[in-house]
Amino acid sequence: MKIKPSLSDLLNSSFRSILKNKGRTLLTSLGIIIGVSSVILLTSIGNGLKSYVSDQFETLGANTIFVSPGMIFSEGGRFNQGAEQFLSLSFDKKDISNLSRNFRSDTIIPLSQTSAEVKALNKTLRSISIIGTTDDYGQEGNATPDPKNGRWFSAEESAKGSKVAILGSNVATDLFGNVNPLGRKIIIKGKTLKVIGIANQQGSSFGGQPVDDYIYVPLDIVHSLSGNEDINSIQIKTPSKDEVPQRKLEIEEVLLDRYEKDTFTVFDSSQLLSSINNIISVLTVALTGIAAISLIVGGIGIMNIMLVTVSERTREIGLRKAIGAYPRAILVQFLIEATILSGIGGIIGILLGTLGSLAINNFFPTNVTLQSVILAFGVSAIVGIVFGVAPARKASKLSPIEALRYE
Amino acid sequence: MKKSSSNNKSPRVVLNLKNIVKTYVSGNTSFNALDDVDVQIKEGEFVSITGPSGSGKSTLMHIIGLLDLPTSGQVILEDRDISRLKEHELAQIRNVTLGFVFQQFNLLPKTSALENVLLPLLYSDIDKTLHKQKGIDMLTKVGLLDKLKNTPAQLSGGQQQRVAIARALINNPKIILADEPTGNLDSRSGKEVMKFFHYLHEKEGRTIVLVTHDMELANQAKRKIVIRDGKIYSQ
Repeated sequence: MKIKPSLSDLLNSSFRSILKNKGRTLLTSLGIIIGVSSVILLTSIGNGLKSYVSDQFETLGANTIFVSPGMIFSEGGRFNQGAEQFLSLSFDKKDISNLSRNFRSDTIIPLSQTSAEVKALNKTLRSISIIGTTDDYGQEGNATPDPKNGRWFSAEESAKGSKVAILGSNVATDLFGNVNPLGRKIIIKGKTLKVIGIANQQGSSFGGQPVDDYIYVPLDIVHSLSGNEDINSIQIKTPSKDEVPQRKLEIEEVLLDRYEKDTFTVFDSSQLLSSINNIISVLTVALTGIAAISLIVGGIGIMNIMLVTVSERTREIGLRKAIGAYPRAILVQFLIEATILSGIGGIIGILLGTLGSLAINNFFPTNVTLQSVILAFGVSAIVGIVFGVAPARKASKLSPIEALRYE
Repeated sequence: MKKSSSNNKSPRVVLNLKNIVKTYVSGNTSFNALDDVDVQIKEGEFVSITGPSGSGKSTLMHIIGLLDLPTSGQVILEDRDISRLKEHELAQIRNVTLGFVFQQFNLLPKTSALENVLLPLLYSDIDKTLHKQKGIDMLTKVGLLDKLKNTPAQLSGGQQQRVAIARALINNPKIILADEPTGNLDSRSGKEVMKFFHYLHEKEGRTIVLVTHDMELANQAKRKIVIRDGKIYSQ
């Protein structure tokens, strides 16, 4: 069937009838504008968050393998909700020497954590996390101070268990305020330690306490504070990331000599990353879904105005039908108008959403993808068509006689 | 253009209405707005239809205008029975066969005179490249060449009705159906419009059906159909 009038004629007349009423067009599209811009904004925040997280993991090192007690990941690669039950497991120095013996080219870093009251000058802080580790931890760039902020402890200090400490930047401020903490004393459970460095500010870390709130000391100090020889987790740095997959299996084999299967987890940053990405994706989809509801509300707004428009233009419709417009031509005309209304809303929404996410980018990473733009525009066009159907059908079914008689 | 002169020897019947009955049902009462009506419109005729309100005049006009179909009876347009056609087929026929002139002009607001005149062509098969020139020709014919770009609000009533007549003529229709065309005009503009209908009838041999309750106007037609209580009273 030949289309009469041609699509270009229809588009032309629709655009003009919409532009005759600019104020109303804008108000009608407002719902779609808000819906589309919030969808764009939320997906861009989700995407930004993902790339931010993977950047963070890049700095963590792709050649790092983590050994933790408990089964951290469930079968699907998500975080295991029942992991706590295994957290009572801990490693000890024998594991470290076993691993060192087996993997001589790797750096094995034990990590032990305790929590204690810390005093300095006349300030006291409760429940500060104390991390006990070796000189290697600092060598690998974790929480390493800038040269002007002191230094990490040496291999010798690490081996002897010297009474030295590196403060996280928050702890340093909390304890010493404006006073330079370097060379000053802190007292933890009666032990006096000398501050030799202040760790660089790191910002918050995912899934835990901000690292800026930690105090780093040689491993033996934590052991004497806690009164046991436990090692809570182990990091293994391979010479390059290519060894990581193979090494994970080997490490697991070594540890299985002493521990039950599934009571500990050997994982690398990519696993952690994909799990976190999973969570972010679910969150993004959920939030975007909520934003998409406003698109539906916007669609109802368009339907409302189109119904009013059809009533207002009853005589025009009657005239068009009298002079030869067949029902489908009227149907298509009003459908196109509804679609243009929502399309305009979509375009404005995309612009606003993109501008908004650029603004937010100053404080928080965002990333507008072409995909989300296409999706948002497509959805808004579909909303226009779906919610345009009822008014357009109403228009196409008007009898020309009734319509021309309409006052 | 097929034109027949006004002194035609054997005028062809353009529209033939046979035994037309139009029944309106409301609840369990029914009412025959048209009751066994026969009307023939011949090519080149200037016919008026008059009758008091409620006589069935409007119903007859709708059926002549192919805007409505009878409950029973036949509508034969140029030897083709169209009484059982579908809505979109009727729309197509209206587009090429009929030119409407309304009391209310029914021009699209905020739309130029030229575009108003071109409106029927949107729904026709006529080559798009010819549209604009046709529209200009028609507006020239009704004396509004200098008002092409004016919107209805910028035109007087008489000018608006002339735009509407140009719109009715643009598809070169077989029948021009005018429903109280002077009803909304002052008497001077009304006379001008009537003069133009006479011109179309006499000089171009157009077939014109004029629906009015104004006897003075009706008497200007060459033939009068008077309808009362759904029946033809005289013709």
